[in-house]
Amino acid sequence: MKVRVSRLDPAADTFPHTEEYEVWVDEEAIVLNVLDAVHDTIDPTLGYRYCCRAGQCGSCAVRVNGEPVLACMEEIHDGDLIEPLELPRIRDLIADIAPMMAQVAWLNPGTAAAECGCNAGVTYETLGEIKPLRDCIECYSCISSCPAFAASEYAGPTNMRQEQRLNLDPRDMGDRIDEAICKGLFACTTCHKCVEVCPKGIEIPKKAVEKLRAAAAKRGLSLPVHRALAKLIEETGRSIEQTETPFLERVPEVVEPEGDIRATVSFFAGCMFNGRVIQPALDAIEVLRKNGIRVIIPKDQVCCGSPLIRTGLLEFVPELQKRNIDAFLRAGADTVLTMCAGCGATLKNDYSTPFHVADITEFLAAIGFIPPKKVTGVYTYHDPCHLLRGQGICKQPRELLQSVAETFVDMPARCCGAGGGVKSGRPEEAATIGAVRAEMVKKTGADCIVTICPFCEFHLHQVTGLPVKNIATLMLEGYQK
Amino acid sequence: MSNEYRSDCHVLVIGSGGAGIRAAVEASAFGGTIIVSKTISGKGGCTVMAEGGYNAVLRSADSITAHYEDTMKGGAFLNDPSLVEVLTREAPGRILDLFAWGAVFDLTCENEIAQRPFGGQQFPRTCYAGDHTGHELVMTLLERLRGSPVDIRDELTVIELLKEGNEIFGAITCDREGELGVITADAVVLATGGAGQVFDTTTNSAAGTGDGYALGYRAGAELIDMEQVQFHPTGAVYPYSTRGRLITEAVRGEGGVLRNANGERFMEKYDPARMELSTRDVVARAIVTEVLEGRGTDHGGVWLDVTHLSQELIETHLPVMLEQFLQFGVDIRIQPMEVAPTAHHFMGGLRITPEAHTTLPHLYACGEVTGGVHGGNRIGGNALADTQVFGRQAGISAGKMERTAKRNGAADQIFAAEEKIAKFYEGTAAPAKVRKAMKAVMWNNVGIFRNKLDLLTAEREIAKLQAMPLAISSPREIADAVVTENMLLVASLVIDGALLRRESRGAHTRIDIKTPWTSEISPFGHTFFSTGRAGIEIRGERL
Repeated sequence: MKVRVSRLDPAADTFPHTEEYEVWVDEEAIVLNVLDAVHDTIDPTLGYRYCCRAGQCGSCAVRVNGEPVLACMEEIHDGDLIEPLELPRIRDLIADIAPMMAQVAWLNPGTAAAECGCNAGVTYETLGEIKPLRDCIECYSCISSCPAFAASEYAGPTNMRQEQRLNLDPRDMGDRIDEAICKGLFACTTCHKCVEVCPKGIEIPKKAVEKLRAAAAKRGLSLPVHRALAKLIEETGRSIEQTETPFLERVPEVVEPEGDIRATVSFFAGCMFNGRVIQPALDAIEVLRKNGIRVIIPKDQVCCGSPLIRTGLLEFVPELQKRNIDAFLRAGADTVLTMCAGCGATLKNDYSTPFHVADITEFLAAIGFIPPKKVTGVYTYHDPCHLLRGQGICKQPRELLQSVAETFVDMPARCCGAGGGVKSGRPEEAATIGAVRAEMVKKTGADCIVTICPFCEFHLHQVTGLPVKNIATLMLEGYQK
Repeated sequence: MSNEYRSDCHVLVIGSGGAGIRAAVEASAFGGTIIVSKTISGKGGCTVMAEGGYNAVLRSADSITAHYEDTMKGGAFLNDPSLVEVLTREAPGRILDLFAWGAVFDLTCENEIAQRPFGGQQFPRTCYAGDHTGHELVMTLLERLRGSPVDIRDELTVIELLKEGNEIFGAITCDREGELGVITADAVVLATGGAGQVFDTTTNSAAGTGDGYALGYRAGAELIDMEQVQFHPTGAVYPYSTRGRLITEAVRGEGGVLRNANGERFMEKYDPARMELSTRDVVARAIVTEVLEGRGTDHGGVWLDVTHLSQELIETHLPVMLEQFLQFGVDIRIQPMEVAPTAHHFMGGLRITPEAHTTLPHLYACGEVTGGVHGGNRIGGNALADTQVFGRQAGISAGKMERTAKRNGAADQIFAAEEKIAKFYEGTAAPAKVRKAMKAVMWNNVGIFRNKLDLLTAEREIAKLQAMPLAISSPREIADAVVTENMLLVASLVIDGALLRRESRGAHTRIDIKTPWTSEISPFGHTFFSTGRAGIEIRGERL
């Protein structure tokens, strides 16, 4: 088997270089077997860490083809590229994790606790809440791949996990909310990349970041701009100030399709498509019409609550949930389509809906869409985090895009920096994360970016200067040719 | 050596598993403490990998006496009674400390620490956190360590203990880049764990190379019972890259059953009363016998089956097992696991007093590097308790040591270390190759069933490997070469012990010798080893 390994000896090299090695390993070999083989039979100076060989100590995290994995648990394939985590590097595959380890908070049992010997108020239920945050093996894969960590003073996902773990524990005497804020609580874009790379699948944004932000909100410690947004939502039911005629006032309650009715769906517009970037929503309705889909648009729908949930300002969320569910129930909905990744993820993950929720690309791919004519240009696709990781949708948008784009150049997913209240609360950080994404876009040579999230759309246009189109808009162009 | 590589402290702790961290935390209450780890603190030892649990008497229906009896009986009465007494008496207090420090152990619905049955116990007294109890223990200790003033030195390998006369006063270290250093101390604690890595197939982490046995032995300390190596009955056998990986005893504790390739629940033949929850030595021998007699699976194992248990129980009580097997396409909720014995725990090691003092002044030891606590066979759940009880003892004893260390000596020993390293550059044998050969020799000749002929073969082969000059080409390989030397020394001590102990006792089975007595009335005591001296105690007299 041939593999490539990134090498760097700071004593001799200025830049890292990639070496190719041919080694003999058993079938179903893991990454570590290959590193051992290189070390034992080719170059004993190869620097890499490992210890338990059973996925429990977290020593051996490296990147394989760009993605963090535990070398002792991951199968290796011919041609794979092995690199260190994206952290300061000591040499070869050894990352400097000491500064990360020093930041992980520790439980402060106070002075009397050790003597008391009682349960200190810890119950079966408390531990049930703490346990999902306790599986961390400190491999630092999450920090390595966190866009906010790379772009700001954010201490990184596992530190938020630990703060919340301590915040939940009655044995801890520390103030974890202040500490979490100091460590960059409001820097997380809730992109969920940390969950994707975590060997233990710990849901840090949902179970730690959002919970800590909610605790901060209760103490009045939310960012002022987030509080203002919450006020706006409470007053208007919308997170966007009305400047022009909104989408919901431009469309009828029921839109009949062209030709035979293949299906009936209800449509959830979301604040951005309703009030800020309206045209893509109108285009989406047209696309649905052309595909024989009858669309019901309840006019009394409101903000999904995502901006509140992501920033921890939960007070008004139950009211929004109730109003939306009632609106769609009254309209007799059994399938509700979203075209905003954030709204879709929220309806799917933060609601208990008596109807089925689907993203527009998910729905069109499943029902079988009428292929549009090709539209000229070089297009790339930006995965919105709340579609890719929030809803597990990555194939369908590409399927749609490939059907319409003359040239499609794919690009790996990475957060653009717009989510989680970061764009509004910490614009400089959003711009820094966006700049990294802009470089990736540039590499594709695309002259237009396609995406499904209005926040990504807005932000990507700002950081790249390129036109950014919703997939519905592009498809409609194809249909209209 | 420049001053940059010299440090001084009150207590130096070598090793960063459960015992080492506990010792360091306790010692730091008495004075400046340094903990060195050849890996990264908390990640290196085997504690973090321990799955099943921690034995402690917590209920009125249980008793310290019962725990003592179970430990002695499980240990084939080779245990040092005074150490077992300390272990069983203090285990409950130490788990309550951990709880106060934030440990997330499983609780019962009544909010008491939950316990489950383990092999060889009269009472279900094994406390646990799912099937990642050791991980939970280490995370708790790491938090405690981070909140303490202990100076943490990671990726630093101790290559020799410093001594003047018999007194230990520090250590020579080697860092990741191969720079030598010196740490002087009033007291040194060895907490380096076991040496499963001298065998081809083992549950141990890569750090389980027995450095503490070798460091202590070379410094003149006495070791006991090195032949007593526990083979855990249930290690993974397939795929090849996972062989040896621990399948926790909790699987059997929760009700898992063993079957041979013919589907027979074979433990009926070997221990009908205790069945799968017999002691580890008995179950391991039973599995090997089934395989040797042709009733094994294609990969040379037997089946361990939990498919009759509820899916929910498997998911909540055995999540790590479920995840590890799923990774390789086996869903243990509907398919059996394939298992075979794997080298697991060294019951032997440095001889200590109940205060964790070794036979050398200023040198203390705790955890798996010590001998005597578990006798000839450790019962499941006693190792984690051992790390905390004796980790604390060692930390406190070392902390109480008066401030007497030699601060300026060591020139001769450093010179000797440098000379030894210089020779490595002229060596011819790659350490990795030597280790591979050693592991095969040990696995094939010094395994579960032993006989004199095989042991003499092993003795000869290991001596041959020890005679090969180890080779390195850069300073970064120094630690690798020294560790390889340590492993060969440990391997030779295991073989010596196996030849000296002319009986089957605990984990040590000599098929060429008929053992006419039960363990309880065996005339033999500990085997013992120190520089220039080795033998076996006859009970009632101390040689």
